[in-house]
Amino acid sequence: MALLLHILRYKFLSFFKTTFDLRAVSLVRGIGSLIVFGGFGLVAYVASYELTLFIMEKTRIGLFLYHRFISMMLFVFFMAVNMGNIIVSYATLYRSAEVIFFFTKPVTFTQIFLLKFLDNFLYSSTTLFLVAFMVLLGYGTYFGYPWYSFLGILLCVLVPFMFLSACLAVLVLMSVMKVASQWGFRKILVLIGSVYASLVFLFFRFTNPIRLVNQVSQYYPEVDQYFSQFDPGFLSYLPNNWVADVLFFFAKGEWEMALPFAATLLAVTAGMFGLVLFVAHRFYYRSWLVTFEVQASSNSVEAGRRMKLFDFRKNSLLPPQLEAVVKKDYFQFFREPSQWIHLLLMLVLVIVFVLSIRNLNLGLRITNVQALTYLVLYAFGVFLSCSLALRFVFPAISLEGKSFWSQLSAPLDVWKLFLLKFVISLFFILTLAVLVAVASNLPFVRLTERRPLLMYFGLYSAFWVSVALVALNLGFGGYFSNFQEKNPIRLASSQGATLTFLVSLIYLVTLIVVVSAPLLKYFESLFLFLPFDFRMIVVPGTIFGMISTAIIGFSVMIGLRSLQRDF
Amino acid sequence: MIELINVTKKFGSFTAVDNISLTVPKGEFFGFLGPNGAGKTTTIKMMAGLFTPTAGTIKLCGFDTATQPNEAKMRTSYVPDQPFLYDKLTGREFMYFMGGLYKMEKKLIQERVEMMIEHFEIGDWVDKRTEDYSQGMRQRTTIAAALIHEPEIIIIDEPMVGLDPRSAKIVRETLKRKSEEGVVVFMSTHSLPVAEELCDRIGIINKGRLVFVGTQSDLAAYKTRYDGKFESVFLELTK
Repeated sequence: MALLLHILRYKFLSFFKTTFDLRAVSLVRGIGSLIVFGGFGLVAYVASYELTLFIMEKTRIGLFLYHRFISMMLFVFFMAVNMGNIIVSYATLYRSAEVIFFFTKPVTFTQIFLLKFLDNFLYSSTTLFLVAFMVLLGYGTYFGYPWYSFLGILLCVLVPFMFLSACLAVLVLMSVMKVASQWGFRKILVLIGSVYASLVFLFFRFTNPIRLVNQVSQYYPEVDQYFSQFDPGFLSYLPNNWVADVLFFFAKGEWEMALPFAATLLAVTAGMFGLVLFVAHRFYYRSWLVTFEVQASSNSVEAGRRMKLFDFRKNSLLPPQLEAVVKKDYFQFFREPSQWIHLLLMLVLVIVFVLSIRNLNLGLRITNVQALTYLVLYAFGVFLSCSLALRFVFPAISLEGKSFWSQLSAPLDVWKLFLLKFVISLFFILTLAVLVAVASNLPFVRLTERRPLLMYFGLYSAFWVSVALVALNLGFGGYFSNFQEKNPIRLASSQGATLTFLVSLIYLVTLIVVVSAPLLKYFESLFLFLPFDFRMIVVPGTIFGMISTAIIGFSVMIGLRSLQRDF
Repeated sequence: MIELINVTKKFGSFTAVDNISLTVPKGEFFGFLGPNGAGKTTTIKMMAGLFTPTAGTIKLCGFDTATQPNEAKMRTSYVPDQPFLYDKLTGREFMYFMGGLYKMEKKLIQERVEMMIEHFEIGDWVDKRTEDYSQGMRQRTTIAAALIHEPEIIIIDEPMVGLDPRSAKIVRETLKRKSEEGVVVFMSTHSLPVAEELCDRIGIINKGRLVFVGTQSDLAAYKTRYDGKFESVFLELTK
């Protein structure tokens, strides 16, 4: 224990010395971060409060339905934290140089595991805690939660919820590493990916939000009751439901009813943590050794000599410089497991989402409900682009690493390099954005009896959002570049990345504000047979383009300047 | 040919390179020496285009690195002090990558890569990803990749670090032969014997200033003032 505290002391010292650097440049950067973080916190608080107000007082769907929607969002959140942790843990527990350093010192494997696990959890979850707390604050303010309950819910509900997800992630990871040497790494990953995709798909299939809305609506206006009889049986075993039920009973003012759910969550989390430590004690070192076998088997001379797709030896139609950089980026990406696995998982989630919503039966012709549904789907689409851009575009310049000398000392214009990264990233982000936009607009095109206006808006938005987010993440990624860090996930969760993500989310909220009023008018015109002035589309569309153009211009400028800095 | 005209580099209030002027003609093997932190790598990075000089002009083959950087870089090759390679590429792929950056035809790259593999004796592992290479393997691959486009100027920072005796011999002989073929070799090193053996002219930098520039005969004359050893001259000049 003393040894663990000794190591933690120096880790904290290192963290504080780098975080609270008193040089003028760092201070300015710190104040800038504080303003953006503070602003974002405020936006999250206001958005959460206003959304709760809108749902409870305008749509009047009632407490139970609202908290079941929260439960669904928490399920997605749980899965996202879980998958993120699997990938980050692989890098920190199995590929980190610090682990090798500790292995040569008299520190037990379990202690090393514990250090890296906590390091990983705290490093990757700090921003999520900030966001979750501010959202909770906005939500709780509406329901008049007492002040002390916010901290209680954060520490006893939200933190254990995320910690449980992280524990489950390392258990899955250690199991993967344990069997990878026998079954093959890729097969196991495909299997795990399929299981996760099936879980998400089955969850939404069995919870069926539309059926739930119909069932609860029959009791209108008494819709604040606890309708757990409509829940499928398995839901009571899921942690997202425990959290949603705690919030539900707090919102009703029946906090004593919330205690069993909170206690269950705490007990399960503690038990899971104990299990993680036990498994780590037995298998961590052995599974760590497996990574060497996996690496050795994938890096043989024979494998290197085989002619591959996009092989450097093959002729290409591209000019030599372009060909060299594109092929280099391709191999650097697809030979790094933490890159392609994460991409694969995200693609699977996108496909599940697209398949789930393309045949969504919207049913109700109620203006507010449909406008809200549209906005939620729209926000999800943009949020997905934000996440993809942050994860894959932001680290693109930093990942050049110390080897960047080879390009910077070559006769290659930096703007060409920037443009190339921009075009490759845009192709990927725009394709997915268009796919999501088409899928999420199809049910509305059916609802509006084949009027294509919303589809056009979706595609217009997908274009601007993709260009703006790629520019933002590439530009800011260059400005906050860290050529020392090789781990893309750590880069995507660094302070600079967090700031970039917050700016992206502010952009997202601004877009929603810009489009919400004309959208509401459009649905009113459809369902209430009111006239719709098409100028209402032109103005927000223009504002949309102007905001995006400003972001693109500023981001490209700082990105290009960052490439001209001393290396 | 290399021309440095009143070149200065400052990092905030710290002056790393202080008003250096130097000319290295075609075919000369120039040794650049100095203690740690004297400004060798900073000077070299400015020549390679990785740092922008605070003041002064650098010309490579007559091209100003500030106004015609690509023309200057096209004729130059830089080998850094730490041989960082893209770790997911094999050594062969890295050489092809470098050839592409210098706009070479595929057929020519192929010929030169085979030539380099044979010359630097790297055939046994050139098709493995560089993430598993030792320091020496990385160093040899970096130097081989740097010579792919047959540069007119080679700027090389500490080339002997991490090389085994056989590899060091190959590198020494290659650089000497290149210089005899008319290529300018600008080499920074901590090894005084290597500098004495290879260089036509030697420059010593200390605290950002050039404190000695001279040929081997100038150096010999200087050495007689001390105990006849280059080491004593170096220690005296960099005190």
